Amino acid sequence: MRMTKRRRAAITGIGMVTPVGNDAPTTWANLLAGRSGIATIGGFDAQGFPVQIGAEVKNFNVEDSVRDRKLLKFASRSTRFALAAAEEALRDAGIRPDPQTGHRWACSVGAGMMGVTFRDLQTVHAFCGIDEEFNAAGLLDRKFPADPITFCRSQTNAGLALLTRHFGIRGYATAVHTACASGGQALGTALKVMRRGLADFVLAGGYDSMLNPIGLSAFCLLGALSTDNEAPALASRPFDATRNGFVLGEGAGFLVLEEWESAQARGARIYAELAGDGNSLSSYRITDSHPSGDGPIQSMQQGLTDAGIAPEGVDYVNAHGTSTLMNDRSECAALRVVMGKHIERVAVSSTKSCMGHLIAGAGAVEAAVCALAIRDGIAPVNANLVQPDPACEVNIVRDKSRPMQIHSALSNSLGFGGSNSSLVFRHPEDVPTR
Amino acid sequence: MNCSPNIVITGLGAVSGAGLKIDSIWDAILHGRSAVSSISQWDARRWPIRVAAEVKGVDNRTLVEDRKLHKLISRTDLFGLYAADVAIQQSGLLAHRETLDAGATACFNDRSGVFAGSGGGVYRSNYDFFPALTTAAGNMETFGREFSAVVNPMWLLKNLPNNVLCHVGIRYNFKGTNACVTNQCVGGVMAVAEAAAAIRAGEADRAVAIGHDSPIEPETVFNYHRLGLLAQDAVRPFDRDRTGTVFGEGAAAVVFEQAAEAQARRAAILGEFLGSGCATEATGILDVRSDGDGLSRAIDFALMDAGVSPGAVGMIVAHGNGTRASDASEARAIRRVFGEAPPPVTGFKWVYGHLIAASGVIDLALALTALRQQIVPGIPTLNSLDPDLSPFPVSSAPQKPRGDIALVLCRGFAGMNVALVVRASATMAGG
Repeated sequence: MRMTKRRRAAITGIGMVTPVGNDAPTTWANLLAGRSGIATIGGFDAQGFPVQIGAEVKNFNVEDSVRDRKLLKFASRSTRFALAAAEEALRDAGIRPDPQTGHRWACSVGAGMMGVTFRDLQTVHAFCGIDEEFNAAGLLDRKFPADPITFCRSQTNAGLALLTRHFGIRGYATAVHTACASGGQALGTALKVMRRGLADFVLAGGYDSMLNPIGLSAFCLLGALSTDNEAPALASRPFDATRNGFVLGEGAGFLVLEEWESAQARGARIYAELAGDGNSLSSYRITDSHPSGDGPIQSMQQGLTDAGIAPEGVDYVNAHGTSTLMNDRSECAALRVVMGKHIERVAVSSTKSCMGHLIAGAGAVEAAVCALAIRDGIAPVNANLVQPDPACEVNIVRDKSRPMQIHSALSNSLGFGGSNSSLVFRHPEDVPTR
Repeated sequence: MNCSPNIVITGLGAVSGAGLKIDSIWDAILHGRSAVSSISQWDARRWPIRVAAEVKGVDNRTLVEDRKLHKLISRTDLFGLYAADVAIQQSGLLAHRETLDAGATACFNDRSGVFAGSGGGVYRSNYDFFPALTTAAGNMETFGREFSAVVNPMWLLKNLPNNVLCHVGIRYNFKGTNACVTNQCVGGVMAVAEAAAAIRAGEADRAVAIGHDSPIEPETVFNYHRLGLLAQDAVRPFDRDRTGTVFGEGAAAVVFEQAAEAQARRAAILGEFLGSGCATEATGILDVRSDGDGLSRAIDFALMDAGVSPGAVGMIVAHGNGTRASDASEARAIRRVFGEAPPPVTGFKWVYGHLIAASGVIDLALALTALRQQIVPGIPTLNSLDPDLSPFPVSSAPQKPRGDIALVLCRGFAGMNVALVVRASATMAGG
């Protein structure tokens, strides 16, 4: 059918700001060592909350990498993570947009849903919310500290605006949000944009920070979080029989994708190929996944078909593995259907065991993890697995990271609202069959 | 590109302050009946901005029958689900699915995509936490103990930006490729472009794309006003005296299918999707370039993607939001591509306001009606063309399209520019 050869996407740059490290090398080293980034929340006083633990980004200073003060005024906490991770990814790739090439660069991001900070909300509350009813006239009070910058910062595409401006990206640009699948879907979109020929380079990633009083409350209300306040480092234990919820994290992951042949031509170091994207809707319930794995089954199958890789070709799966009762079971059921007998051999781990759940950032950070796993030939450990859940019987990377040749890796991101993203990565020396 | 399937439109739905049906909105356009009037959602009588194009006097159950669902979604989602339902019902896809056997039905569902463009964050949803903030009186520990007593346990789910995507999936059992674009004003049109691209690339056989938004709330109006983006009375695109935009609210939806499949099931074809283009100007959150660089590149991409020359474009539905900077640069971008004699240009925001994430999608729905009726509606709020933009083919009187292809333009924060190219169905049969 295809008249021209399909364009391929090379991953040539990686940047991360995560609860286990403010750059990619530190994050990767800590994930391999199984070190937890989860602790008692320090960013605000969470003592009164039912959940007092989180996976915070620590000692982060955006000005270490991005020095544009004027721009940073418009950047929320999560956008700052994004700017720093994107800068690292571009530096790592050794190529960046310039006035001549900016229009051939695209930007695709999975952005979090929270723009308003708790402090902003407190201000509006002080002027409009003291009475039972919302008093809109409070905004018109002469003393109301109206700051258009605060408003700009809260726009859904503010992060995209600052990234494209700061780095001079002038092509296709998009911000997507499908809850916990956002980062994966942003990378899937990036791959499609590359294949469609709309760009030769894509800066793609995801970022989020819901570790604030409102974000924490929202997940507490749903009963989705682990309440193991006394043992934070052990709280996220995907696939363990005693798991009791996920741990809320924050951070950003960014990749530089380059058209394969031009990346090779310039002698770029290629971590891996982003080889396939599978994307489905569970259409079951808003928060729950179907116990049979329906939904993720299709996204994984599509991703593999798209990459031209048989299930037997997959060596490593970076699972969504949130550490909630429902997700881990349903995801394993899906994996068993997709992998068949091969399920015994494919190594599975959830790096959320160390860095918590980065929500809209998760899929992008975990894509970076897959690329590094392929480069270094090692599957990162699924920490805190002591007593495997019999309903999650898959070949989990227990106790320590597992050195192994990884030809192909798969990363799942399964979101509230039923969006499922499965990304497939191929070793740069392997030749695609499709 | 010739081996890609043609993509046709078999369903359209729209809701706005100007009506709950495309026909009634079209009627309002032809008769110059703007929906812009006094804001009713709060007492705005003393506000610097007192008008918007609200969806008024419509019961929520008219929009979404299922009352239980009302507790799980917000206002913008009601609009999105309504428009999606109208479009899907019109397409006849559900009746068609009824005729399939179990295996074919499962395949049908897995090959049906859903793409939403959502306004995303709203400010008022956070006010649900106000009683807890009042009780806490600045003490975070108290807040942490109290919020669960006052806030709906489903608060997060009610406010997910991807709710329409999720619930369209659940209601119609569509399970294919999907996206929720939260790229402010261009979210809806990018959802449309991605839905069509997914079918073209063979990732789906059919898809519904929806843009929805409800930006009319105190904080948004207040801040847009502070930024100098809002007019006090009306949207006057390209007018010498234009002062800004006016908010609207609502949604629009489009059902896309492979032409061969739609023809095989004898579906009524409402139009053909030809192409899209997208570019940012890298100007940050608010700024636009005065030379129209990003928009002219988006138009070039869209025409190239559609495989049509500028001369084949019969009419243009401009973004025309009525702000000084956007309209001026838009006119320049159009002239950059089309030269001194562009096809007739119009804009619809004077009638239903600026629907932000839904803006370009509702424009697309009406562009198809305009092509079919062969009327480029006039802009009644246009009194006198901005001399800096002259000559420019906008008019307060109706014009006639030059051909059967429309270009729909949409712009937004982050220097975003998107162009869509569509053709009316009537001429497809002949050509």
